[in-house]
Amino acid sequence: MSQRNQHRNRTAAASALLAFLGVSGLILSPGLGRPVRAGEMRPSVESISYASPLEVLLSPDGSRLYVLCQGSEDIRVLDAQNFAVIKKIPVGAVPRGFSFSPDGAKLYVTNSSEDTVSVIDTAKLEVVATWKTGAEPSSVVAEPGGTRLFVANRISNDISVLDAATGVEQKRLSAGRGASYLTLAPDGSKIYATHVYPNPSAYRTAPESEITVIDAARAVVVDRIPLHGIAHAFHIDFSPDGRLGATTGYHPKNLVTLAHLEHGGAFEDTITLFGADLGRTVEVPLDELERYASQPFGVAIAPDKSRIYISSGGSELVTVIDLPRLMQYIRLHPGGFAHDLSASANYVVTRIPVGLNPRGITLSRDGRRLFVANRLDDTLSVIDTHANKVVSTVRLEGPKNVSALRHGEQTFYTSRYSFQGQIGCANCHIDSTFDGLTWNLEPDGFGRNPVDNKLIEGIKDTEPYKWTGTNPDIPTECGPRTEKYFWRSEQYDDITLTDLSLYVRSLNPRPNRWKLIGHEVTPAQERGKAIFERTIDKFGNQIAFYNRCIFCHSGPKGTSQELFDDVGTSTPLDNTSRLKAPPLTNIALTAPYLHNGSAKSLEEIWTIYNPQEKHGRTADLTKDELNDLVEYLRTR
Amino acid sequence: MTLVSRFLTSSALTAMLIPVCAFGPDVTSGATATDIVVTAAPIYAQLAALQGKERFPQGAHLLLVHDGKAEPLVPTFWASADANVSFDGERVLFAGKQAQKDPWQIWEIALKDRSLRRVIAGEGDVIRPLYLPYGRLVYARHAATGFRLEAAGKDTPEALDPVDPHAGDTIQPLSFLPGNAIPDDVLLDGRILFESGFPLGSGTTPELYLVYSDGSGVESYRCDHGKARWGGTQLASGDVVFTHGATLARFTSPLAHEAAIAAPNADYAGGLAETPDGSWLLSARTVGTHRSLVSWQPAVEEGQQAEPLKTVLAVDGENLVEPVIVAPHARPKRHPTALHPWTYANMMALDARISRDGDLKTAPAKVRLESMDAHGHATVMGTAPVDADGSFLVRTPADRPIRFALLDQKGSIVRAEHGWFWIRAGEQRYCVGCHAGPERSPDNHVPAALLRTTTPVDLTGSKPDAAKPGEPGGN
Repeated sequence: MSQRNQHRNRTAAASALLAFLGVSGLILSPGLGRPVRAGEMRPSVESISYASPLEVLLSPDGSRLYVLCQGSEDIRVLDAQNFAVIKKIPVGAVPRGFSFSPDGAKLYVTNSSEDTVSVIDTAKLEVVATWKTGAEPSSVVAEPGGTRLFVANRISNDISVLDAATGVEQKRLSAGRGASYLTLAPDGSKIYATHVYPNPSAYRTAPESEITVIDAARAVVVDRIPLHGIAHAFHIDFSPDGRLGATTGYHPKNLVTLAHLEHGGAFEDTITLFGADLGRTVEVPLDELERYASQPFGVAIAPDKSRIYISSGGSELVTVIDLPRLMQYIRLHPGGFAHDLSASANYVVTRIPVGLNPRGITLSRDGRRLFVANRLDDTLSVIDTHANKVVSTVRLEGPKNVSALRHGEQTFYTSRYSFQGQIGCANCHIDSTFDGLTWNLEPDGFGRNPVDNKLIEGIKDTEPYKWTGTNPDIPTECGPRTEKYFWRSEQYDDITLTDLSLYVRSLNPRPNRWKLIGHEVTPAQERGKAIFERTIDKFGNQIAFYNRCIFCHSGPKGTSQELFDDVGTSTPLDNTSRLKAPPLTNIALTAPYLHNGSAKSLEEIWTIYNPQEKHGRTADLTKDELNDLVEYLRTR
Repeated sequence: MTLVSRFLTSSALTAMLIPVCAFGPDVTSGATATDIVVTAAPIYAQLAALQGKERFPQGAHLLLVHDGKAEPLVPTFWASADANVSFDGERVLFAGKQAQKDPWQIWEIALKDRSLRRVIAGEGDVIRPLYLPYGRLVYARHAATGFRLEAAGKDTPEALDPVDPHAGDTIQPLSFLPGNAIPDDVLLDGRILFESGFPLGSGTTPELYLVYSDGSGVESYRCDHGKARWGGTQLASGDVVFTHGATLARFTSPLAHEAAIAAPNADYAGGLAETPDGSWLLSARTVGTHRSLVSWQPAVEEGQQAEPLKTVLAVDGENLVEPVIVAPHARPKRHPTALHPWTYANMMALDARISRDGDLKTAPAKVRLESMDAHGHATVMGTAPVDADGSFLVRTPADRPIRFALLDQKGSIVRAEHGWFWIRAGEQRYCVGCHAGPERSPDNHVPAALLRTTTPVDLTGSKPDAAKPGEPGGN
């Protein structure tokens, strides 16, 4: 059967499945694993388990490749020369990051969906311990003395400090928002953390992020290096002398009306350099005038400081930078060149096509080979760094056929459908979530209707979509509207749209960390729930039914799926005050709030943006009672 | 004697044919991948169309080069030129005249059975047709003010059909300036590459421009203006190769300026065909008075010795121009038009101080909009304030020539556009600066003009119609 026919048959089956899902409410969930807490019932898991290699490491002696397979939830151990599989080690749910102990005897793996670290004995190649962490651990490093582990917790926005012998948590360090990637400086003195979500900033101002710098010996935060204009930062790497660091980042144009994509109209893809070699941060564009390095993620600096390698998940390539030429260019342009799309011609050597959604990369110790984890086609690309060519593609064990759901996921992450390949769905839905940004879309008018970008987990069965409820279903949301106003270019065919819709519908809410195990609630949550459901205010007066929380935010997902006229949040910038009640799914994670992102916190919804009490009766509540309400909302 | 018979006579006597053996073996039902279509003409005035004149004053004829032999593709026509091969490689769109007195019209021939059909007709000349995705085409029609770009077709997934305005088919103007605009190529990203004079709408130096297939987003391909450049063709790599006449050059994605091509000295007509092995078929004159069809292998690596031109086909007394390869090729992406149903357009400058000609140190006080009336006279449509950060937001007349000038407090011009451009009805567009160049991406901030108001200053000269920005269906 031809590939095209196979695809048609498969997608026809997917369409039937989608229709069935719509009726039955069954959910397919790729990689989002098994129930992790009592009461966290996930109805179904896709039976096909793809490896989905996310990160790759070489053992300290260079003999083995360790591949973190997020989809199959295991660590693959491969012979680094012939790539034969030595062992497949099951770990926890949705592993996201890993690193070795200083002596290489242990491999630590963060399990992001169950808030643990798996400790693998690299001699036995088995998990010997599992330790608790903060919420959604995403990466881990050990300090060189081997006494402490540092774990970046994406949801709790902090860094757990664990005893490396017992796994007991010693302290938490406050990081930026979405703390996710940790890197130990070459001299072992400091640990650097980056963040996938922007820190809270003033309304309609450019996003700000940071590199949180931790003194490894003292386990204290000693610096916060600002990343101006960067909303999402990912891996960091250092030169061996420790004098130069580089981190990948997305530089969005969310405040510029998204009228067109040409000339970097939606995103710039950059790395930020920092360290003693520069004495400051320098943002370095990776894009060209008509081609983009969309969704930069992994970064590796060659041992001899000759090259920097960057993976771009959306563009499906690795960019190779001539580092001496880049440093020279920086010296010649002291005023910066972050917005110059022609700058990269002065330091980009080549761009090497790799597999689908390349993520983690690692260099061999001699710098001769670069290994790339291609998450969405279950391969590793092996690049000869002298030839700048892929010399081997290692297929990891797993399903050979691409399911409709998998195809939908591939579609979600690629940037190939947008004008000149600038953006994909994943640009604004980081790891299929949200971005914490407010965007200004063109059809509403210049400066009109700034809209908060919402979480898409649990989006299934919450139609209509958009704040104004103008899109009746996901295919409409992801189809012509997206083509016309986002991609600005011919997009996928109907079959692919069906697969994409299937994937988006499959995105289950991640486990809610504010819920106690076993459906228990804290007293504050219980009091907050009573406030949420109340019909009478504190003075004994009936609250108008339309002004009760549960009227608009009803149902299991916290939305009546209805549009309401003016809940007091509209501004002169809005074209309409008729807005849909948004779902409350994992609402604690998704600041800013309200349709225009004006409320930086849940509290501000009522303390600042509800003066007329149209958005619920709250003026009678004390500060403590409002806190209780927020505590309850965090459990949704 | 018709041009055809004259050509056959001359070709039988003096045509020099060199087998084109470097082409790949890809075979279609219409023809082999080695087939070439080229225009043969006794006189080829390559830039005449940019002056609204005839490029082939003594006629022209399409030749199909098949198995190393050339034969007329449309022998029953008095003249034919401007071949463009369909994406499936089975049909050829061309400009043709059935009789000498006829204007140029757009025709399509099926290679399999040589059946002909007229696609676009008109009283004036219609030339240089190019296939667009989704059953559309773009071409240049000679109107009162010169050649203008038009698009027509169904905009459905089916193949191109003849366009009959009397049957309700829409012909959509894409250019709205005096002077001449001639399409060169349709880029893989869906935009139309065309040549026109620089400064646009007023100048005569040939320059390359881009526009979406709904007429929106017109802009210079690059802003290193100066030398005349024309005859642009996109390669599979995405680079656009064009000629200055005696030399070739390219636009390439990493660079904001053209890059020289180390090609042998020759008189290049512009336009090329890229073969599957990466060599180029070009129209060039190295000796004598006429251009022949030559093959050239560009250097793969920097510093590599360029190969000499190799003659592929030469016909005594004829110029061989506009070569195309008859083979399936990549279909450009369709541009999904997002124009709103308005009679006007909205235009935002993010920071008018920014320019590749040198940033203004202080923000201008005002921006003045001029429009060109039907008689070619500039008319001041009004002024709008420029905010301290250099931003302004205006509502402009649509589908007609406009240009901006930045004024100081006293009303003196501090910077002005040299040429004209247009903005489509229902288009909303921003500029990063005033002549900032395509290499400049926008700074991410809310422009001060939008913090003050989101209502554009109306410079249309008329009352806005009822449509409001939020009406076209939201996002």
